[in-house]
Amino acid sequence: MSERLITPRSYIIVCVILVLLTFLTLSVSFVHLPGVWHIVAGLIIGLCKASLVVLFFMHALVSSRLTWIVIAVSGFWLGLLLVLTLCDYLTRGLVPFMPGH
Amino acid sequence: MSLDQASTWTPAERDELQHTSLVRHRLEEQFRDLEQQHEVASLGMWIFLATEVMFFGTLFVGLGVYTYMHHEAFVKASEKLNWLIGGTNTVVLLISSLMIVLAVHSARVGNQRHLVMFLALTALLGVCFLCLKGVEYYIDWRENLIPGWKFDAEEWIQRDHLRPEQVPQVQLFLLFYWTMTGLHALHVILGIGAVLAMALLARRGRFSPVYYSPVDVTALYWHFVDIVWIFLLPMLYLTGTHTGADFHF
Repeated sequence: MSERLITPRSYIIVCVILVLLTFLTLSVSFVHLPGVWHIVAGLIIGLCKASLVVLFFMHALVSSRLTWIVIAVSGFWLGLLLVLTLCDYLTRGLVPFMPGH
Repeated sequence: MSLDQASTWTPAERDELQHTSLVRHRLEEQFRDLEQQHEVASLGMWIFLATEVMFFGTLFVGLGVYTYMHHEAFVKASEKLNWLIGGTNTVVLLISSLMIVLAVHSARVGNQRHLVMFLALTALLGVCFLCLKGVEYYIDWRENLIPGWKFDAEEWIQRDHLRPEQVPQVQLFLLFYWTMTGLHALHVILGIGAVLAMALLARRGRFSPVYYSPVDVTALYWHFVDIVWIFLLPMLYLTGTHTGADFHF
C-alpha cells in the first residue's frame, strides 16, 4: 500500500493514450506492409500499451521491489519460451539437408 | 473522523483508524498490520498472473510460430475476422480498465458511492465486451468460420484461391482464434463475477481507506485480462493489410 498516489487525472490521460494507440494500430493495418511486418508493428504498439497498463493501471510504477521481481521474472520466463522456441523454428532450413551427416 | 474525508487524513489519523475494531477484525492473525497483509495479497495475485502469462504465452508462441510457417493462409484467414468488432472491443476493455482503476482510487480515498459506481461500470463494460463478442461469433458462424462444424473447404479454394493443402492451415488458424478468444472470454466472465462480488461487498461497507486489498487484487486480474486482449488484437485480427472492402457485416 504505497503512500505515493497516481491521480485520477493521470489515469484518464493514460487511458486516452491507450485508445489513441488502438486507433494507430488499426490504422497501420490499412497501410501496405510486406510479410510479417504487420504483426511486428502490431506487437510493438501492443507492448507499449501493455507497459502503460502495467506501470500506471496496475501501479507497478509505485509498487515494492518485490513486485518488480515478480514482473521481471514472469517477463524472463516468457522471454525464454519465446526465444528458445523461435531459435528452433526461425532457423530451420538455414542449414541445407546433408544426407549421411 | 469521517471516511468521506479520508484523502485529507494525516498519517497519525490513519494510524488511529488501524486500531479501531472496524479495521482490526479485517486483519488476519499471521500479519503484522494491514499494510503487510495488503502487500502479501497483491504479491500473491502478481504470482498468479505470472502463471497466467505462461498459460497464454504458450498459445501466443504457438500462434506466432504457425503464422511464420503458414503466413499466406493465416493472413487470408485473418482477413475474414471482424477487425471492427475486435477493435471496438479493445476500446471497451481499455475503458473498463480505467473504470476499475478509478474504483481502486475511490476505495483508497474512502468514497464508497464512487467505489460501487465504478465497479458496476466495470462489470457493465465487461458485459458489453461479451455481447459484442457474441455478435462477432454469430457473424463467424454465418460466414462458415467454424472448423469441424461449419466450414466449407471448397469455398476457400474457389473464393480465396487457396491451394488444397492450405485449407488445413486455415482451419489451424481458426482453431487458434476460437481457443484463444474463448479462453479470454472465460477470463472476462470470471472477472465480471469477481467485480460484481466486490461491488456487493463495497455496498455493504466492507472496505475502507486502510482495507481495500480485495478490490486492488481484483483490479490487477482485470487489467491482466485487458493486456491479453491487447496482444490478441494484432496477432489474430491485424496480420494482413486491410482495405476499405473489409467492412463486412
